[in-house]
Amino acid sequence: MTSSAGTSAAASKQPSLRPPPRNRMVVAVLSLMGVFIALYLLAHSIGLIPLICGVGSCETVQSSQWAMVGPVPVPLIGVAGYGSLLVLAILGIQPSWKDSRGIGLLMLGLATVGVAYTAFLTYLEAAVIHAWCVWCVTSAALMTLIFLASLPEVGRAVRRR
Amino acid sequence: MSKKNRERKYGSGEAPSSASGGAEMTKFYWILGAVAVLGVGIVGYSVGSKALSSTVSEPIEMAGLDDPAELMQVARGVEKGDPDAPISIIEFADFQCPGCGGFATQVKPLLEAEFVDTGKAKFIYYDFPLVSVHGHAFLAARAARCAEDQEKFWPYHDILYRSQPRWSTVQNPAGMFEDYAEDLGLDEDEFSACLKSDRHADVVTANMQLGYQLQIQGTPTILVTQGQGVGRRVTATLEGIREGIALLQSGG
Repeated sequence: MTSSAGTSAAASKQPSLRPPPRNRMVVAVLSLMGVFIALYLLAHSIGLIPLICGVGSCETVQSSQWAMVGPVPVPLIGVAGYGSLLVLAILGIQPSWKDSRGIGLLMLGLATVGVAYTAFLTYLEAAVIHAWCVWCVTSAALMTLIFLASLPEVGRAVRRR
Repeated sequence: MSKKNRERKYGSGEAPSSASGGAEMTKFYWILGAVAVLGVGIVGYSVGSKALSSTVSEPIEMAGLDDPAELMQVARGVEKGDPDAPISIIEFADFQCPGCGGFATQVKPLLEAEFVDTGKAKFIYYDFPLVSVHGHAFLAARAARCAEDQEKFWPYHDILYRSQPRWSTVQNPAGMFEDYAEDLGLDEDEFSACLKSDRHADVVTANMQLGYQLQIQGTPTILVTQGQGVGRRVTATLEGIREGIALLQSGG
């Protein structure tokens, strides 16, 4: 009994034996997809490429006043947000960081801000601009999935207190 | 149920503790790599193909267009009907605008039968591509001008509007524009060389500038004129054009 408890405690102090959190892998893959969607929209917003929009009215959304936050194009915020999530998620599966509660909570915090912001943008498309941008909706769906995939960090943080 | 069993059954957000962690990491990096290659490929291709292309698909910088005399030397509509007809029906249109498509396929044939074919009026088409919302409109306008070089502007105009839902949604419609030229029996090499250049970009740009000076704000915009008079803006319907022409003829 004592021996078993001792083994368990020893195992918890050897992070290299614990496999990397799978949810962080999921966040990394989804974030990388988000980075490319945001880069594609950014390339369009700075005039490099036309936007391919099978359904919806991407141009209406992208040329609206809501496509910029001051001098900053919204896709640039997306690149920064998804990029940060990607870096955090990849760090969070490295042997020296995979048990880090801080990285997990930072990731969850960023995903929460991200999902709130994309929800706001989706609301603007529906209620203010009255047009849909399929890439923006895809991005919102990705951010929601990232948020859901980050939720196990709550349990992990509570368990390790 | 013990905590260990509960985690085994419902998961804890972590992979099961085993030596398979390394294999899982390898699999993860493969998936991440595949997404990276795909993403770099798609975004890189989109940017690269636009950058490498010599095809002009946007308005060009032209000095002097603010001067009306200089503008009128470059701006040029395409006419249909009797050049000496007393009335001119002028359209400012965008090949990618659905409203213009509706006008071209439903209203214009009736208009031609009533006014153009009977010699009462001539029809003049000016380009007004709404480039901020229609990414292919400028190229379509140039393509129609390339067809005009081979005296097939109007058949090409019709085919562009009829096929608008198809070419509007593709990433690069140049190939479809070449197919339409082939369907109409145009010299493919000549058309292709014209399309993959900056030819007619000056005329289309000048036509747009003319539209701005006439305070055209949307498409299709229809003007009717008599002689050299200033155009009267009318609704883009057969009834609207009839009324406008009747007012012109009555001196209103």
